[in-house]
Amino acid sequence: MPLLTTLAGDALNAYGFSRGAESAGAFELISTTILGSSATSVAFTSIPSTYKHLQIRASARTDRALGVDSFTLRLNSDSANNYYSHLLFGNGSAVTATSLGANNIIYAGRTTDSSNTANAFAQNLVDILDYALTTKNKTIRSLFGADTVGGYPWQGIHSGVWNSTAAITRIDVLPGVGPNFVTGSRFSLYGIKG
Amino acid sequence: MPAGVSAITPLANLTLGSAQATITFSSISQAYRDLILVVSPIATTTGNAGRLRLNGDTGSNYSWVQMYGDGTTAASSQSTSSTELIGLQSETTQTATVIHITDYSATTKHKSVLSRSNNTNAISTVVNQRWANTAAVTSISIYMTASTTYAAGSTFALYGVSA
Repeated sequence: MPLLTTLAGDALNAYGFSRGAESAGAFELISTTILGSSATSVAFTSIPSTYKHLQIRASARTDRALGVDSFTLRLNSDSANNYYSHLLFGNGSAVTATSLGANNIIYAGRTTDSSNTANAFAQNLVDILDYALTTKNKTIRSLFGADTVGGYPWQGIHSGVWNSTAAITRIDVLPGVGPNFVTGSRFSLYGIKG
Repeated sequence: MPAGVSAITPLANLTLGSAQATITFSSISQAYRDLILVVSPIATTTGNAGRLRLNGDTGSNYSWVQMYGDGTTAASSQSTSSTELIGLQSETTQTATVIHITDYSATTKHKSVLSRSNNTNAISTVVNQRWANTAAVTSISIYMTASTTYAAGSTFALYGVSA
C-alpha cells in the first residue's frame, strides 16, 4: 500500500517565491480598500473566476470598546447558518481551541478596537481555497494577530467552511461586533493562479 | 496594478557564504504595501534564538504574544515591553520562518509583525508582534541572541507586496 494516495478531486499545488525580478506571476492584486471613514463592512464584488485561490490581507481596527473584536466573512451574501469555524489561539497565557457553528458568518480572525492603544491595527491573512470550483464546499484558513497593550493580546489560526458549492463571487468583511471598521483599516484581495 | 503582473516582488536575497552575526536589509523601498521576509537560517551553535529590530530601534518599543507547540505541550506567552522582535526559530540544522509586516510604509499605524516558524526540535510557533512606532519601516536587522552567528548556507529573502 503506498504511503501517499491521491483521492479523486484532490488538488495539490505548490508555489515558490521567486529569486529573480518581477514577472508575470501567480499572485495578483484584485482589489484594495483603505477606509477614509468608518464603515460597517467592506465588500469585494464581481470577483473574477479566473484564479485558483484567493487571499485577503487586512490591517483592521473596529470601534467596539472591549479590547478585541472579530474579523468575519460572509460569502455571496449568504446570511443563513451555513458556516462553521474552528479556532486555535493564544492570549499570552493560555492556548484555546474551540469551534463555532452553525453560524451566518465565518470567524476568520481578530481586530483591535477602540479600547486598544491608538494606532494599533490587527493583521489578518485569509486564504480561500478553490473558491471558483463548483464541486466543493468552500474552505478558508487564516493566520491573525492582534497585539493589544491595554487590551487582550491574541494570535492564532482559524479554519472555516461555507457549506455551499457555489463559486464565490462576493465577499463581505464584517466586524464581529463593531459596529464599524475605522478609518485606516485596509483590506486587499489577491488572486492566486494554479 | 495591471492584470498579469505579480503582486509579490523580490527585493533582496542573501545566501551566506560564511558565518555572519547580523543581516540587515536597508533602504527598503516604500513602494509596496506589505513586506514578507522568508528566512531559512542555520545557527552555528544550538540553544539560541533569532531576533529582529526595525529601523535600528533598540528601545523597549516592541510587544509580542506567541503560541507554540513542541509535540507534547501547547502554550502561550507574551511581553508588553521588549527591546526586540522574536519568532525566528534557530537550530544547527535548517529551520523556516515566514514573517509578514503589513502596512510597513503607513505613517498612521504602529507596525504589525506576524510570523509562523518551526525548527527541527519539533517546535512550531505563531507570533504576533507590534512595533509601537508610526515611522515607515526602512530597515530590518536580523541577529542571534548571545552574540552567536548564522552559518554559511543560511538564506534570507525580502519581498514587497503591492496593494
